[in-house]
Amino acid sequence: MAKTLVIQPVTRIEGHAKVTIQLNDAGNVDTARVNVIELRGFEKFCLGRPVEDLPRITPRICGVCPWSHHLASAKACDAVFGVEPPPAGKKLRELCNSIAYMEEHILHFYFLAGADFLLGPDADYSIRNVIGVLQAAPDIARKVVKVRHLCARMLETIAGKSIHPQAAVPGGFSKPLSAAERDELRKQADETLDLAKFSIAFAKENVFPKYLDVVKSLGVITTGFIGTVKENGALNLYDGKLRLMAPNGSYQDFPYDRYTEFISEHIESWSYLKFPYAKQWGEGFSMDVDNPKGVYRANTLARINVCDFIDTPLAQAELVEFRAKFGRPAQLTLLYHWARLIELLYNAENTIRLLDDPEITSTETRVKCTPRAARGVGVTEAPRGTLIHDYTTDADGLITNVNLIVGTTHNNAPINMSVTQAAKSLIHDGKYDQGVLNTVEMSIRAYDPCFSCATHRLDGKLSVKLDIFDVEGKLVGSLAN
Amino acid sequence: MWKIGQLEIDTSDIGQSDLPDFCRKPILVLGIGNLLFGDDGFGCAVVDYLESHYQIPEAICLLDAGTGVRKLLFTLCLSPARPRRLLILDAIDSGRTSGEIFEIDPAEIPPVKLDDFSMHQLPTSNLLRELQETCGVEVRVLACQTGPLPEEISQGLSKAVSDAVPRAADRVVREYFPRVLSSRVRSIFAVPCGDIGGFV
Repeated sequence: MAKTLVIQPVTRIEGHAKVTIQLNDAGNVDTARVNVIELRGFEKFCLGRPVEDLPRITPRICGVCPWSHHLASAKACDAVFGVEPPPAGKKLRELCNSIAYMEEHILHFYFLAGADFLLGPDADYSIRNVIGVLQAAPDIARKVVKVRHLCARMLETIAGKSIHPQAAVPGGFSKPLSAAERDELRKQADETLDLAKFSIAFAKENVFPKYLDVVKSLGVITTGFIGTVKENGALNLYDGKLRLMAPNGSYQDFPYDRYTEFISEHIESWSYLKFPYAKQWGEGFSMDVDNPKGVYRANTLARINVCDFIDTPLAQAELVEFRAKFGRPAQLTLLYHWARLIELLYNAENTIRLLDDPEITSTETRVKCTPRAARGVGVTEAPRGTLIHDYTTDADGLITNVNLIVGTTHNNAPINMSVTQAAKSLIHDGKYDQGVLNTVEMSIRAYDPCFSCATHRLDGKLSVKLDIFDVEGKLVGSLAN
Repeated sequence: MWKIGQLEIDTSDIGQSDLPDFCRKPILVLGIGNLLFGDDGFGCAVVDYLESHYQIPEAICLLDAGTGVRKLLFTLCLSPARPRRLLILDAIDSGRTSGEIFEIDPAEIPPVKLDDFSMHQLPTSNLLRELQETCGVEVRVLACQTGPLPEEISQGLSKAVSDAVPRAADRVVREYFPRVLSSRVRSIFAVPCGDIGGFV
């Protein structure tokens, strides 16, 4: 009898981050679907607003990736106004981006993904969490905690606040950095580099080798990739051009404002979220795991794949080693974690490079902006993928059209495919257990997805449960955490 | 020494200057919620009201944490220094009358697992329990019953919740800002004592 398994965090808004696995009559996986919520009504909300409001509003969309939205929005405003921020303005924005990245990547590797790798995917939830990680590795925990706090402190120093930033403005950055502040930050930056070097060394010795068989098998799919590179092909997380790479490694580069010529969005009846795909490849769209069409991925692994090189020495050395092991492009989904650590190292080196640049303390951090009728596209690499803010204004600078593609949206199709692949490899003859639930979660966690940028929920009515329905829709069983 | 539950870790190399403000001050008041979604912006509105109507004492860190509260609470859980008291200001739908203000003890909220795919998914309630039970922070939630929340972005509080903002602010001042009077009263009575707030 065919059955449906549902892995469903329950929230106020129905359909939030629901994973549905459909079994066939033999008890094997037929399909798997991941439903995510889309931020609805944002365009309507923005219509008629002054475009310069958006760098203040958009960080509120997502309290986890506020800097990414803030900077992409400021860049879109620059383009709308037709201005170029002064060098110090751009460098201060990029500096904040690199520090925010470090905070994110440290958190994700050590406390989200880390619990899977340090404690094992089958460890009970009561220890497979932050406290479990701290107890398992207290010396590492101390280093990690200190540097995370330092990153928050550094952002406070540069931008006045680390939550819901407002310091980037159309035309540049609102607050110059003093020499005294730079000197304080420079010492703190050395500590972030120490942790970044330690992290990748530790992972290569103690984590990845232990789980290489899982890395080679879990959620493995074949796709293209998208990311930002500089004109010379170097990795860059703040600015550059977009590169869309096909599964065979060939690629096309294009400026931000031409993204609609390369990417289109597919709609499925069962999902609020659209499925971007590479229309430029001319093959249409399909999420068939064995024969995908038009599917590409974003986020850490994608950025490491599309760049030709990294222009900081330690991260470049790691990239060379990575490519020697896994080739280019690397397709194994769990390599997102390895790529994340290479990016952590790059961001630590980039932070030091920017702080050592004499221009970083220049007081010329912004230029004047004048409203005009125009379209502007601002793109940054959010930790979770390429983030696109596309604004159009009238002659008074009021918004007439807005389009956002957030990082995780690019990965909507790949996440579905990885979950399908993971579920198919783990569930056979109708047999499944709690370990399956955890392992399917691992395949999603590698993408570090945004499943809700809307509201939070305080009252604790959030749970994970696996509901089993028969073909008539009758609930026949449940597993829950 | 950093203690979290039974775990103790030497943190003598982490200085106060290495920590963000919200870790260092003895009292932390956070307004949380998304002000783009109707009454969900209540907590942020109360913070805004407090900032514009009162002088905030030096011992208090008052923050509009918005949708960023999870990351902040996570950082607090891991911090070698934490506030003594934490007050959360938030909007909740719990079947009461719109605009009603009430208090919640996180210990009364059942712990649940949430798929920890991403920082976007960490449950705030679990983090608050962690702070209270294993980190020794006194945690309270001052909540306001919402009206119906919009399914799409729509900024602005309903009348009942908007009317509750000054009442909530007054309660925060009475229970957490014991030495602060409103700026209007200050101007009538005395010379302000500067950084520590209150009066001489």
